[in-house]
Amino acid sequence: MSEIHGATGSYVLHALDPSELDEFEAHLAVCPTCSREVVEFCETAAELSQLATAPPPPGLKASVMTAISGVRVLPPEPTGMEEQAGAPAAEPVTGAPEDELALRRQQRRTRLLWLAVAAATVLALSLGGWVVSLVQQQQAQVATSTAETQLYSAPDVVIRPVTLPNGAKASFVASKSLNRAMFTSSDLPSPGPDRTYQLWTLSGPANAPTAVVPDNTLSGGTAVKQFFRGDIAGSTLVAITNEPAGGSSVPTTPATAAPL
Amino acid sequence: MNVRAVPGSGGESPRPGPTGGTGREAEAAHLVELMARVSRAHEDAFAELYDLTSARVYGTVLRVLRSTDHAAEVTQEVFVEVWRQSARYVPGKGSVLAWMTTMAHRRAVDRVRAVTSEVSRDERYAVSGIDREVDHVWEGVEQRLDVERVRRGMASLTAIQREALTLAYFGGYTQSQVASLLKLPLGTVKTRIRDGLIGLRDALGVEA
Repeated sequence: MSEIHGATGSYVLHALDPSELDEFEAHLAVCPTCSREVVEFCETAAELSQLATAPPPPGLKASVMTAISGVRVLPPEPTGMEEQAGAPAAEPVTGAPEDELALRRQQRRTRLLWLAVAAATVLALSLGGWVVSLVQQQQAQVATSTAETQLYSAPDVVIRPVTLPNGAKASFVASKSLNRAMFTSSDLPSPGPDRTYQLWTLSGPANAPTAVVPDNTLSGGTAVKQFFRGDIAGSTLVAITNEPAGGSSVPTTPATAAPL
Repeated sequence: MNVRAVPGSGGESPRPGPTGGTGREAEAAHLVELMARVSRAHEDAFAELYDLTSARVYGTVLRVLRSTDHAAEVTQEVFVEVWRQSARYVPGKGSVLAWMTTMAHRRAVDRVRAVTSEVSRDERYAVSGIDREVDHVWEGVEQRLDVERVRRGMASLTAIQREALTLAYFGGYTQSQVASLLKLPLGTVKTRIRDGLIGLRDALGVEA
């Protein structure tokens, strides 16, 4: 058995080093033996997760249910994966890892674009020796959303850096032509116990907005990205505030806003 | 081993416990049905899916991240992603739980690699820490029959296989980091991780 086959275990446990990942995935796409093993190992790892079972915090369910209410269910896999239906059993790369694999392919496609956008951040952090994992992290984030890629590629995309009252550096990324906007921060402190960040869209003049519309809420973390769900094309400003958990209907703390 | 004879008294935990294979299969089939409804944006089905799987997802993420705040955030991200991608889950290609725990583990690992400094992790796991890590996995786990099965599967592995698996899966380390923690060549670690999964797969009779 050649060495590459031996990487199935590490691949499933997300333990492959970045340098090996591309090579292994290229191999996986053409090796039914490894594909089958990857599927089996995913089931095995799922069993292993039983040893880690722990009850989530009581408030998390409500928070998750609120979060999904603003999120659209994606249609079934649109491209390149049609062979799923009625495909022969020996078809390479199946099951759970296929989604991962599709993600990785997506990452490769978007890598250059995203690196250009993220160059400043990467440069700053490469001094700490973390450039590789950071890039990997950002690729993962990119892959979670083609919408994000589209947003960054939009001809009229604007990126508005802001500093929140707690000192956090963040940006609004928006495209009126796509009617999409996103809030993003590489390191957003926790909003505090029983608090949440909340996004807003505003219309009318900046000094006297005629409408202030509550939008999605989000928590802190690294590589935070939250899309707006509201109308961007018709808005003049986007903003973020710190609100009680669950969000507010009008802002209760000073807003950090940026023009569109 | 403490096998509970009375089902259901424990409240919300995923249903079929001590009934062995059929119980697990019924549970797996039920999760597939739920996913089909979730993919048509039924929030009630999603709420039930959350009830049945959140302890697995959150527990997996928490074990890797060691921070309840981070774990709650990542768990929420995972469930939002499960909702978003629900129509892309293909039942014939693996169980719902494998799909979800793979996603959860991946995100937890991405997060831990982004936020944890190499230095503190090395200190935390400096050799003697490995035993604690391995022990910790065994402690405080509800003694259900399924869990006991996995425990026995892990116990059937060699010590190195078990340590390598534990560090990679529960520790979120790359195979290179595992190699340096265990002071073994990378090729050896890679082989031990794979052999460990093969051993566990065979011990558990996992079918894909």
